[in-house]
Amino acid sequence: MKQLIPFLLLILAQYTALAQADYPKLNEISKRLQALDKDSKASLTTLTTTVGGEEVYALKLGTGDLDQKPAIAIVGGVEGYHVLGVELALQISERIIKNHSEILETTTFYVFPNMAPDAYVQYHSKLKYNRRGNSADIDHDRDGKLNEDPYEDLNKDGFITQIRIESPLGTYMAHPDDARLMIEADTSSANAKRYMLYSEGIDNDKDGKYNEDLLEGVAFNKSLTYQFPAFEPLAGDYAVSQKESRALLDYLFQQWNIYAFVSFGPANNLSSPLKYNAQQAKKRIVASPLEQDVAINKMVSDLYNESISQKAFMQDNQGSDGDFFQWAYFHFGRLSFSTPGWWVPEAKKDSTSTSPLEETKASNFLKWAKQENLNDVFLEWQQVNHPDFENKTVEVGGVKPFVMENPPFSKVDSIAIEHTDFILKLAKNQPKLEFHNLKVEQLKGNLKRVTVDLLNNANLPTHSQLGERSRWLQKIRIELNTSKENILAGNKIELVSKMDAYETKSFSWIVKENGKLTLKAGAPHSGFAEIIINL
Amino acid sequence: MKHFRYTSFICAAVLLLLSSVTQAQEKFFRAIGTPHQPKVEASWNRYNTYDGIVDLMQQIADAYPKLTRLESIGKSVENRDIYMLTVSDFNTGNPDEKPAMYIDGNIHSNEIQGAEFSLYTAWYLTEMFNELDFINQLLKDKTFYIVPTINPDARDNYMKEPNTPHSPRSGMLVLDNDGDGKAGEDGYDDLNEDNHITYMIRKSPTGQYIKDPQDNRRLIQVAEEEQGEYEMLGFEGIDRDGDGNVNEDGIGYYDPNRDWGWKWQPDYVQRGAYKYPFSLPETRAVADFVLKHPNIAGAQSYHNYGGMILRGPGAEEDKDTYNREDVRIYDAIAKKGEEMIPGYRYLTVYKDLYSVFGGELDWFYGGRGIYTYTNELMVSYLYFHKNEGRANQEEELKVDKYLTFGDAFVDWKEYDHPQYGKIEIGGFKKNFSRAHPGFLLEQDAHRNMAFTIYHAYQTPKLNILDVSEKSLGNGLKEITATIYNERLMPTHSSQDLKFNIERPDLISISNANVVAGMVVEDEDFNKVNEQVENPETLRVSNIPGMETVKVRWIVSGGRNYKIEVDSAKGGKATWK
Repeated sequence: MKQLIPFLLLILAQYTALAQADYPKLNEISKRLQALDKDSKASLTTLTTTVGGEEVYALKLGTGDLDQKPAIAIVGGVEGYHVLGVELALQISERIIKNHSEILETTTFYVFPNMAPDAYVQYHSKLKYNRRGNSADIDHDRDGKLNEDPYEDLNKDGFITQIRIESPLGTYMAHPDDARLMIEADTSSANAKRYMLYSEGIDNDKDGKYNEDLLEGVAFNKSLTYQFPAFEPLAGDYAVSQKESRALLDYLFQQWNIYAFVSFGPANNLSSPLKYNAQQAKKRIVASPLEQDVAINKMVSDLYNESISQKAFMQDNQGSDGDFFQWAYFHFGRLSFSTPGWWVPEAKKDSTSTSPLEETKASNFLKWAKQENLNDVFLEWQQVNHPDFENKTVEVGGVKPFVMENPPFSKVDSIAIEHTDFILKLAKNQPKLEFHNLKVEQLKGNLKRVTVDLLNNANLPTHSQLGERSRWLQKIRIELNTSKENILAGNKIELVSKMDAYETKSFSWIVKENGKLTLKAGAPHSGFAEIIINL
Repeated sequence: MKHFRYTSFICAAVLLLLSSVTQAQEKFFRAIGTPHQPKVEASWNRYNTYDGIVDLMQQIADAYPKLTRLESIGKSVENRDIYMLTVSDFNTGNPDEKPAMYIDGNIHSNEIQGAEFSLYTAWYLTEMFNELDFINQLLKDKTFYIVPTINPDARDNYMKEPNTPHSPRSGMLVLDNDGDGKAGEDGYDDLNEDNHITYMIRKSPTGQYIKDPQDNRRLIQVAEEEQGEYEMLGFEGIDRDGDGNVNEDGIGYYDPNRDWGWKWQPDYVQRGAYKYPFSLPETRAVADFVLKHPNIAGAQSYHNYGGMILRGPGAEEDKDTYNREDVRIYDAIAKKGEEMIPGYRYLTVYKDLYSVFGGELDWFYGGRGIYTYTNELMVSYLYFHKNEGRANQEEELKVDKYLTFGDAFVDWKEYDHPQYGKIEIGGFKKNFSRAHPGFLLEQDAHRNMAFTIYHAYQTPKLNILDVSEKSLGNGLKEITATIYNERLMPTHSSQDLKFNIERPDLISISNANVVAGMVVEDEDFNKVNEQVENPETLRVSNIPGMETVKVRWIVSGGRNYKIEVDSAKGGKATWK
């Protein structure tokens, strides 16, 4: 038995090493979260269980009165296919607890590592494809039938890619530099062989469309209230219709202390900030970030680019309808930042290319993969029999799922280290209220005049410009703890709607009282300052 | 002789019996339009608490088990059941497959009479089912889903606790209204303990008001250069949290009618919105029910007040949602409504009232394609048949003098206020102005019900009008069926068609070998649209109101074939 233990440990060690060779499975995520939960500075709760039976977690990192400290929410798994985001949320949590726990004295973190667990499963399942929707039954094409036209793995290789059909009716052709890639045919390529191109599957319901009613439900990142795309596939019958989105929002609406969000998803407003559009910003339904908030975004974007070594390339998603990161700003009033964490870098120019065609995401990817010696990223075109195209040449192939959105796992550690660094920098800029220049003047008849300055000693204001309008952010409350009768001038309670970066506000009172008074100022998301006044 | 005596005894007994019956009947004489001897005795000149509503619904359900179904569609914030009474002839078809009318009331807790109007509808329909051919046929064809109150908690709060005519309006969740980190810390205070929150006034040298010497209930403003006697201090209350404000943070505030899932906007755009669409349990209960009942083709929500029949859009930004074909139907029904309910005007929310996102009627129409109205019940026209407008103080004082004899007003009385000192408290009671006085309630309930009956009547009614055959030789024949929609509403509103909200109508043939199936676009010139896949069941996108749709099959054999129509909002029809 004694001899067996080291042997078992060895197997366990190997197993762990193996597990770290790829993005984790859901049960491995749970284990890592439960391991974190053992630390006194972390606590794990389950927000809900999805339709697919998967748990949605919330991990709280903090010390002391942590719901009253300014907090950052970190959200991963915004898209099911973006497995990197889940790993980043996990690693950042682990690194904060292990290496940077001093930050928890001033900042609390709420981590939601995986908001799309039902879709995440597809990365490890027998049939792999970029999945967005949860496991709800949805009529995506709104024809009265549920999920009736899903993908089919025609060549049984375990991946959903594309099918191409040789046909004079086709509108696609091979890329002149890389014949594996399909591009839209144009007038200059009259002699090229033409193809029809669809996602891999058959037309189950014979409506002429391929895979238009998938075996998946609502996509978390397309189902929130900001510019909700009503009646589109994957969006649901109305906004926030699913258990996981409701559970997350219900939780967030009770966490008054969150001042900023960092989401890992397809949108990127960190490599470069969002732009201000005066006309859209002035509309009743605000459709542009407000001017002061764009300036904050610029400042935080600079922090990001200082921390992150990768240079932006083809980062053109700055928000999509019903997505999460725009919700956090436009409908929740918080500072909201999003990044994919990684993207396909710009490949070195190919000197042999004669093509005048512009580089596409896929052509750049294939070039880059070749330069990096990543060989296992493309599934070569392979002929199959297809019931919808009898007597035609039909081939299955294409870029493998996941590889354009997620880096090889070996690169993840350094990405996580850099992003942890960025988040710590963001936390150091959070609002910080301080009292200065407290003065007590004795007036006649034992009256005292108290004056004091309140300073927001930080690069960030207490409220985003939009957040100032939101009822879901508290005002800065300045309260002198004495009865109203003892205050002859000045307010017992005063509410301030916003303090800018390094802004000072002065307050004064005339009181008839002896002894000690406490003066407190703040709001959960800005933190509190407190001072004792000796009268 | 014996026989004679026995007979005369029976005759006497029968006479006695008859006379006692006639005596009972002679106490009342039938009034046209009202259930004469209802199984359920109900008074329509008073208001019901939540318990009263549930009791009446239970009585109706017990008296008419073949016409009703009583169920709870969900729970409120304070865990009360939200009860629905389904009214239909349960012996003729499945009520959940008939074209249906949804009716609710009281979404705003202080807008109470919607519950009574809804209850009156359920009561009237059930009591008249065996009396009137029209109602009998209506309940054979249609279903009414009636939810008298979708805000039961705050309805009871409005009635049982001190309130103004305008409070609570929201439900019973307590939010932080002034952003100070405390929720509900400074609501109204019923200083004179009369269960009404009325006004506080105070004598002051800078006051701008005097009491009218002709009528001391009334405060009138003096001219700029004149000295008044009183100043207004607002609704009864004290500053409980010492922030210098009175009544700034009570129940709520949020608005259940800003919580619906069509173009929902957050609170800073649309004051009153809660967290996200259907984030309140009461609205979610309704939405869940409606999503599960695609047979609902028309809907009515009751509010108060001002005498309006409202349609959407709620906001100008949503103008394009309401297109011409649908507005034509909205207009046709509501203009009839204006005739049926004197004093009520047909208006569009965003143009004629105010702008609102996330309202119930917009979700019913925009999100589900259901033709929906909101009626603002009670209009001052009912008092003296004059259009004096909402909250016309002069008119209301006259009403209380000549019609309600002082029942509506709390006379001014002195009070020692801990912060304001000596004040006077008084004014109109919470149940005046917005709520009908008892003597006006039943008539207005009946007229509004009549409008919803007309609305329900105009939901689609499908009929297979004609089936013709033509021989094609070779054992083949062509069967052409004409389906007629006998009512104003199409099976799919144009909003529904735009987004494919409900499935297409299915027209199918059975007991025949179908070679081909097609929808006939133009019979005269043989323009047809073939459906290649599954031609036995033709999928027709819409059957417009007062119009026909023709379908055709080419079949081989088939003598005893059967044709069926199955429409989510249009019900079912069969031809054999």
